[in-house]
Amino acid sequence: MKTQSWFKPYFDRLSSMSLAIALLTVLALASAIGTVLLQNQMQTDYLTQFGPLWYNVFVSLGLFDMYHAPWFFGLLSFLMVSLTVCLWRNVPVFLKEMRSRKVVIADKSLKGFHHLKRWKLDGIDVTEAKATVSQALFDWSQKSEEEDGRVYIRGDKGRAHKWGYILVHSAILVILVGGWIGAQYGFRGTMSVAENGTDNTIRFLKGTKTEQLKMPFEIRCDDFFIDFYPTGMPKEFRSTLSILENGEVVVDHKDIIVNEPLYYKGVRIYQASFGDGGSAVTLKLFDPVSGKSTSINTEVYKTWKDPATGVSMEITNFRPFNIENMSGPGEAKKFQDLGPAVEFVVRGADLKSVKVKSFLNPFILNGQNRGHMIMVSLSGNESDFQAYPLGLDFSQPTDWALYTAFGEALSKRPDQQDKEANFAAFREAMSKVYGEQRPDDFQEKGMRVLQAMSNLPGLPWPYIPMLEAHDQVYYTGLEITQDPGMNTVWVGSALLVIGLCIMFYVPHRKLWVVFKAEEKGVEITLGAMTNRNKLGFEHEFNQLLTRVDEALRPSTEKRSAA
Amino acid sequence: MTVTTASRFSLESINRGLPGFARFCTYLGAIIGVSAYAMYGPDGYGEDGLLYFLTASSFSWIGIGALAGLASGTALGLAKPSITESKTSVNTVPFLDGALLMMLLTAVEALFEPAADTFNYLDQSNLLSGSIIMTMNITLLASALFYITHLFAPASIVGRLATASAWVGVYAGGSALLLRWYESYLLDVEIGHAPVSNLYEVFILLFCITTIVYLTLESRYKARAMGAFVMPLVSAGVFFGIWLSAQGHAEIKPLVPALQSYWMKIHVPMNFVGYGSFAVACGAGMAYLVREWLEMRGAKASLLAVFPSLDQLDQLAYKAVAIGFPAFTLATILGAAWAAEAWGGYWSWDPKETWALIVWLVYGAYLHVRVSHGWQGRSLAWWTVAGFLVTVFCFIGVNMYLSGLHSYGRL
Repeated sequence: MKTQSWFKPYFDRLSSMSLAIALLTVLALASAIGTVLLQNQMQTDYLTQFGPLWYNVFVSLGLFDMYHAPWFFGLLSFLMVSLTVCLWRNVPVFLKEMRSRKVVIADKSLKGFHHLKRWKLDGIDVTEAKATVSQALFDWSQKSEEEDGRVYIRGDKGRAHKWGYILVHSAILVILVGGWIGAQYGFRGTMSVAENGTDNTIRFLKGTKTEQLKMPFEIRCDDFFIDFYPTGMPKEFRSTLSILENGEVVVDHKDIIVNEPLYYKGVRIYQASFGDGGSAVTLKLFDPVSGKSTSINTEVYKTWKDPATGVSMEITNFRPFNIENMSGPGEAKKFQDLGPAVEFVVRGADLKSVKVKSFLNPFILNGQNRGHMIMVSLSGNESDFQAYPLGLDFSQPTDWALYTAFGEALSKRPDQQDKEANFAAFREAMSKVYGEQRPDDFQEKGMRVLQAMSNLPGLPWPYIPMLEAHDQVYYTGLEITQDPGMNTVWVGSALLVIGLCIMFYVPHRKLWVVFKAEEKGVEITLGAMTNRNKLGFEHEFNQLLTRVDEALRPSTEKRSAA
Repeated sequence: MTVTTASRFSLESINRGLPGFARFCTYLGAIIGVSAYAMYGPDGYGEDGLLYFLTASSFSWIGIGALAGLASGTALGLAKPSITESKTSVNTVPFLDGALLMMLLTAVEALFEPAADTFNYLDQSNLLSGSIIMTMNITLLASALFYITHLFAPASIVGRLATASAWVGVYAGGSALLLRWYESYLLDVEIGHAPVSNLYEVFILLFCITTIVYLTLESRYKARAMGAFVMPLVSAGVFFGIWLSAQGHAEIKPLVPALQSYWMKIHVPMNFVGYGSFAVACGAGMAYLVREWLEMRGAKASLLAVFPSLDQLDQLAYKAVAIGFPAFTLATILGAAWAAEAWGGYWSWDPKETWALIVWLVYGAYLHVRVSHGWQGRSLAWWTVAGFLVTVFCFIGVNMYLSGLHSYGRL
């Protein structure tokens, strides 16, 4: 073919080892970039991190989603082309090499062998020696020939070795093809379904943008359940799902957990995450000035605005359990469930917006009721929450009554600030709330009210928001994927492992035995070589020699005795 | 002739011939028995995990498997003596013996476990495995010192002491891990899990595997000088492990949902076979470079005589990569299979995955230049050292500096 003349140099270059090594190196370096530069983040995060100039440079290079960028794909395609050409060129050569087993070997080449041994035996002829040696080499696949009065045996072990190369390199090709099929015809996205809700659209990131894809079926979350360890770590989350097609239930109430996905018509549905699905919460707002309280009903992810003051609360989360380590530093850990809590962001005209966590239950430490507390995060970050004790147990109406009565009693004595006056005021409040019957825990109550007196006026809001009731709804975060190339990848992986095992653990060992008739007997030369595992072969060769030695000895001994 | 007769009565010969092969088949039978019990046993393998296998019915399945293996192995060996020399049997029997010994050792250690009321989840300081791990730390450090001393006093007993203490370290570490597995169930059946779930546990696993790979090469190729380079690497890890435990990372913690899978028990140890072998390759590479440097400086012949030849060291490094590379490939594939079951895709370009790919590419390139370009010697020795640095980054660096799905071992 004439066209080959201009084509061939490129063809050779494509399959050259230098190119392959260069490609592997470039691929390794390129992959490393994507691990240092966080991939698929929000556009705003990148903009604040790098500024508009570098942001645009990185975007145009596709670095924010580089594993799906055209140039990365190009790199992988180049690797595929190089691999294909390499296989195309070398497989026929390998196959030919495996088939041709030259039996006759020149003295000169035999001399160069690292593993070589020569025997000179008397009283034995070539045929007999050959038969004996051939039997000693029973586990070698042998071939023998005669030429110029010499007899040659060629032995082989591990002739499949070259198949190792072929398998490994085709396996990588197969895996890359499988990956390409998956990227081309598959999808991978997430879907959040609230309990008893239904959805059919998955969302996924393409670059820094979110895209949507409609599934040919709907998923209903019938139930969601979380189990916790005593430490508050989630132990298991389990979704009960049903799949509906055209309004008809095709999969009914199937449970999935992490590590156990649901498979339906080529689509896999994984349990990935969970969160609040819009729980209904009732908050009670206590007004420390008027002493009155009002209840409001709202939902997680909704914002409630007080028409009177303009202060708004955006409910961000609800948690039924809040397990915290209550031990001091250096103490053994002590986990305690603080009970349900709601999180919200308070905003207002003259207010710094802060994140607040408000608990349903009062805080009990070592059996003592310390009243309710809230946690406040000035930065809005989860890690910056700090406890703020309110003092009062708002679940007991008497606490609030005692507090307001105490406030009233104090305001009657504006010019008296001493201890005596405070006691008098407290006694007045006590008798107003309880009459003559003092409760047993009045001292504890007194402590709480005093703490509330010092802490509550410090709150910047016009009211104190307390969680009163809740009706929790979870959403289950599902990962929904389809990958038609996956099985191809598994086939490739299996081939890869088999190929590597052959390549590393089945070295091709060759040996030649040359029998030359001498005056009185025969000269035997045994030479052997291996292409891998040279250290191990040393031992194998010595064993082989011992075996041949032992096999030859009796026949010569017998002969010399006779 | 005399050599072969003598070796028939040496320790090595019990791994060959009928005794070796029959034992191999017994172990095989026991493994089949335990797998069958896991798959078809009464009530099924479930949340009770390890405890499920520590029952009378489990032992009867294992026993039946072992007996069947022993019988068929003996019969096969008698009928066809050549089969008893099979490489698989001869090469794996010592490891299976070692595994059995380690389990027996753990059983003995479990007898000395303190009373149940002296420890609980919140206070694990009294658990026995902690002291055994400390024993491992000390013996491994001592072994490193002995190996280095051995370089300068090759004729003395210190070389044998080095090997012995390395073996003690392996058995202490391995049995401590097995004991920790058992202890996790003592704390709470719900908490119980295989001891390969966090950085501290896998560090101990890594020490054991690295040392085993090294000791295997040492005993096969008489390369004790290499220990002076491999064991200091392990020692560096030991110090890191001590630091981790001082930071409170040594506690047994319950498994997050993503790790509750049988894949964890397969994927993680396989990965560390890879990492451990790459560490040994690095040790061999360093030994090569040091020997070459000594030769250039015209060091004393007595010092050089301790080292294997340059060619042998080169071969040993390759040998270690030849163990590590297929294991690492398999481990990555197993990880992909797990990811396909837990994360929704076999490959997510997660930093750990990507760095595993980079490690794989680095050693893939090593094999290419070696086999096809015929590179040898110094440049490849440097390559094994650099490759190990990349491996270390993949193992620890990713946990320290990069975030991602593999955040279980976070520092």
